[in-house]
Amino acid sequence: MEVKILSEKFDIENAHLLEVAKKHGAYSTLDKLFAMEPAAVTEEVKKSGLRGRGGAGFPAGVKWGFLPKDTGKPTYLAVNSDESEPATFKDRYILVRDPHMLLEGIIICCWAIGCNDVYIYIRGEYTTQVKVLQQAIDEAYAAGYLGDKVAGQDFRVDVTVHRGAGAYVCGEETALLESIEGKKGQPRSKPPFPAVEGLYSSPTIINNVQTIASLPFILTNGHEAYTAYGTEKSPGTHLFGISGHVEKPGMYELPLGLPLMEVIDKVAGGVWKGRKLKGVIPGGSSTPVLTVEEAKTVTLDYESMAAHKTMFGSGGIVVLDETVDCVKLVENLINFYHHESCGQCTPCREGLGWMKKITKKLLAGQGTLADVDLLRELCDNIEMKTVCVLSAACTMPVRSYLDKFRHEFEAYAIDNVSADAKLQGN
Amino acid sequence: MAEMVKLFVNGEEVEVESGKNLIDAIGAVGIEIPHLCYHPALGADGNCRMCLVGIEDGRPPVVPACKTPAREGMRVQLDTDNIKKIQRDIMEFELINHPVDCPICDQAGECKLQDYYMAHDLQDSRMRVPQVTKGKKMDFGCGVVHDQERCVVCGRCVRFTRQITKTGELGIINRTDAARVNIFPGRPLNNRYALNIVDLCPVGAMTSRDFRFKQRVWFLKKDKGICHGCARGCNIFIDHNREKYKDDVIYRYRPRLNSLVNGYFMCDEGRLSYKEENENRLTATMIEGKETSFEDGIQRIQQELNQAKKPLMLISPNSTLEQQWAVKRIATLYGARCSGYSEGYVKAGDGDDFLICDDKSANRRGLQLLDIDCERTTLEQALGECDLFISFDNDPFRFGNNEELRNAIAAKRVIAISSHENTMTEISKVALPVASYSEYDGTIVNINNVLQSFTRAVRKNEERIDILEVTRLLGGAVRDNAHAWPGMKTTVEELAEVHPDRIPAEGLQLSVSEESHVSA
Amino acid sequence: MSDRSELIITGKPFAFDAERDAEFERLVKRYPIRESMILPALWLTQEQEGWISAEAMAYIADRIGTYASKVYEAATFYTMFNLEPKGQYHICVCRTLSCWLREKQEIVDYLAKEIGIRPGEISEDGRFSLEEVECLGHCGTAPVVQLNGEFHEEMDVDKMKALLATLK
Repeated sequence: MEVKILSEKFDIENAHLLEVAKKHGAYSTLDKLFAMEPAAVTEEVKKSGLRGRGGAGFPAGVKWGFLPKDTGKPTYLAVNSDESEPATFKDRYILVRDPHMLLEGIIICCWAIGCNDVYIYIRGEYTTQVKVLQQAIDEAYAAGYLGDKVAGQDFRVDVTVHRGAGAYVCGEETALLESIEGKKGQPRSKPPFPAVEGLYSSPTIINNVQTIASLPFILTNGHEAYTAYGTEKSPGTHLFGISGHVEKPGMYELPLGLPLMEVIDKVAGGVWKGRKLKGVIPGGSSTPVLTVEEAKTVTLDYESMAAHKTMFGSGGIVVLDETVDCVKLVENLINFYHHESCGQCTPCREGLGWMKKITKKLLAGQGTLADVDLLRELCDNIEMKTVCVLSAACTMPVRSYLDKFRHEFEAYAIDNVSADAKLQGN
Repeated sequence: MAEMVKLFVNGEEVEVESGKNLIDAIGAVGIEIPHLCYHPALGADGNCRMCLVGIEDGRPPVVPACKTPAREGMRVQLDTDNIKKIQRDIMEFELINHPVDCPICDQAGECKLQDYYMAHDLQDSRMRVPQVTKGKKMDFGCGVVHDQERCVVCGRCVRFTRQITKTGELGIINRTDAARVNIFPGRPLNNRYALNIVDLCPVGAMTSRDFRFKQRVWFLKKDKGICHGCARGCNIFIDHNREKYKDDVIYRYRPRLNSLVNGYFMCDEGRLSYKEENENRLTATMIEGKETSFEDGIQRIQQELNQAKKPLMLISPNSTLEQQWAVKRIATLYGARCSGYSEGYVKAGDGDDFLICDDKSANRRGLQLLDIDCERTTLEQALGECDLFISFDNDPFRFGNNEELRNAIAAKRVIAISSHENTMTEISKVALPVASYSEYDGTIVNINNVLQSFTRAVRKNEERIDILEVTRLLGGAVRDNAHAWPGMKTTVEELAEVHPDRIPAEGLQLSVSEESHVSA
Repeated sequence: MSDRSELIITGKPFAFDAERDAEFERLVKRYPIRESMILPALWLTQEQEGWISAEAMAYIADRIGTYASKVYEAATFYTMFNLEPKGQYHICVCRTLSCWLREKQEIVDYLAKEIGIRPGEISEDGRFSLEEVECLGHCGTAPVVQLNGEFHEEMDVDKMKALLATLK
């Protein structure tokens, strides 16, 4: 099932070094690139159907098309390497094992959108990863792939690594821009959209690492080679991260559209310790959980996920075995999103803490059925009332556990226990 | 004229300014969209989410009004169940960690949380878990006291220090529900407009050390006035109250919007200058060190004037146009010379590029318009020749002594008609108490030639008359403010077209003549 | 997150050393506005001192030409910035979803027993500090521990024990 498109060089020793990467084809698309009109590059990417791999799945070529022309301002590219959605760990492999693929993709994107200044926003926790990436950038500068004359062309590309410092919300594209500007990572209201008014109030494209890293393959082999993988509406491959209760967790490159259960069983070795499956989180912690029944019918693509009222997200699959206590899991989730709320919008700032405390109260055996109802209601009251979707990233999954595993929450409610006892007494 | 568009609010068609954000556009026709973080002087931030409104067939269907420009044909919904529920929910979120200590909060009575709770929430608290605790009564400097628990983190105060004063003392630190406003250690508020933060704060998080616990705001009478702290003439509310068995006392000034003069703000010095209206007032008529009646005072002044051969009258740059005119008229009557000399009111270099002026008097432009000589040399010459010196509430020593001038004046027979005790009353033979600006009506012209009128706010238990009335008692022909105008209009070109009873609320921009460029 | 507003005032002036000074000057040219240097400068400070004092924040603000309040905002918003000294060995255990599912708690409990400190604490001798942090992006090799920034994947109590042994 596994394929090697993006991960082609992942297993090659020292592929992060320019010399090794070049032997295996790094920067070989540049000749072809500079012979093409920028618009033709965008067209090729549009035809490939490449969708943003950060989580939202927006078609990359279409996004580029939103850039206004002749604004008199520079156009910026911000590469989103914040990768902080729990269960997501794919971009890290690109950064460490094939950073030149990313840099080559950056050059392609810059050529297509007419950009000279690039910021790679990398999460602060990636301490060792940032060193490898910076080394690759330094090597690329030294070899003339970056700098004033990219590969001898009259075309400048400067790449600067900007480190985050522990804020999940900076994966949100406008929070990321704020962070580069030296501010707190608090998302901006849209409109204006970043393509029109982004970094330093200039037109800006923000693309995920994997999205950008997919460009060399598409350009080298043509869009047909890319669309040969995956489904019609979700073409290509994805670096899936499988974690949680499986025998062989890890990062696997797979074409889109495969049945989820097949991937869990055949690629990830099935549920660990011979236990039974309880549910699956399909695309990062913010995506609604799938029950065993739902997991059996879903395939790994945007459309099937949507049909199952969940999301493809970042492709971070988390397998839950039968021992998982959904209330404790929800506590863990809310803890995370509460910790990461930027504190800007009232519902998210105040509401997530409230949800967290209600969940703790339930777990402490002090909650009531009314608390379960309140928790469920708060999901609705918070969601979509905020500038960004961080609040929804918390309420969507929490709602799914409350709806699909409500009995587990009720079991913690004191009045429910006593009600049961009364029934039995009768 | 701004371009107007027609749109619908709750199905009703209204005409509003195109492109303006919905809060201001719709607010202009009297429909309020609740909001906490938005302030017209600070722009839209969009964090409180209280102004979310529905847009029928809109994408997205719910938008923050502060960030949404008014467009033709837009169908804005404020009264749908969805929007009402959102407003109630946002209020609930605002209040779960709020101490609800209204009984001891100075903001009570003018608090947006109270108003919106009554208008949009009105449900019992469902908060049954421990609240977030934060800092209380934090000294932020400049007399601003902060309560982090009452704060709704709207960031108005932060934006004020960054956008308006450009001093940036405040920040919102931390994130999530730990977010709070703070100063950087050792760098407290340090600007001359800091107390505006107290007004800007929509809740009781920012209070004024000066005003804290002094009055419940619903007891205050809030009259319109004009600050006399400098030549800007910032529009203010004079908040005063007469407590039982006590006198009418001013408790605070607050800035009042006037886009022609001061916008939404005023300086701290001007704001705290209300104290000068309460304190150090000249209350008794004094003749040669002995207290006497006001009538005796007037009679004595009249006698002195009748006996004097060369009286000199000093007119105040703080007096109204009408008062200045009236003094000028009786000067003619008594053959007195007139001077508006008042360098003592100028603090050179003290002004800034925002509101504060070097000139600490409110109506120096009036002296210029009425052609009253303000030169020091003229004054000195007249002083040398005069045998009676009458000051009409002009204190030449307002900001510091001038020994030479003081001796020169003290050598004369001095009459001080004064609202306050000062050097002039000290060296006077006769001191006559008069009303100060919060106690009379009148018209003044600010540094930018904006003519503004104001009306009396305070009524002291022992009422004092104003300078114009004094001139009338001294035999002057100007009976009252209105009566001053025909003469002024014929004499002063810039005032020829002014209708004193029809001065717009924002004031009247006078045309600038050549002469107006002459500085004080 | 807990409140991070209390800053430590050392009473001593702060300045970048020559190496950080040069790095600051190199980086500042990469951005069109100086305020973009707030995060890089905080990182440089942390690299140099291990943590960030009030004096350092004031230095950064003045060096960049911005308000100290903005540096304060950033330093307290981004949780990786240490506002107090950490142990010689700073151990971060990921507490989020996949690491939680794969029993990170056993490691935390073990460390609590072995070193005698709970998350958020520093050992009395100053050698160890322990922190539970949010997702570190190593979910496929959970549970994961960061020791002074170095990742240690697929951890369990035995591996943690072995790792500690290398430090003693």
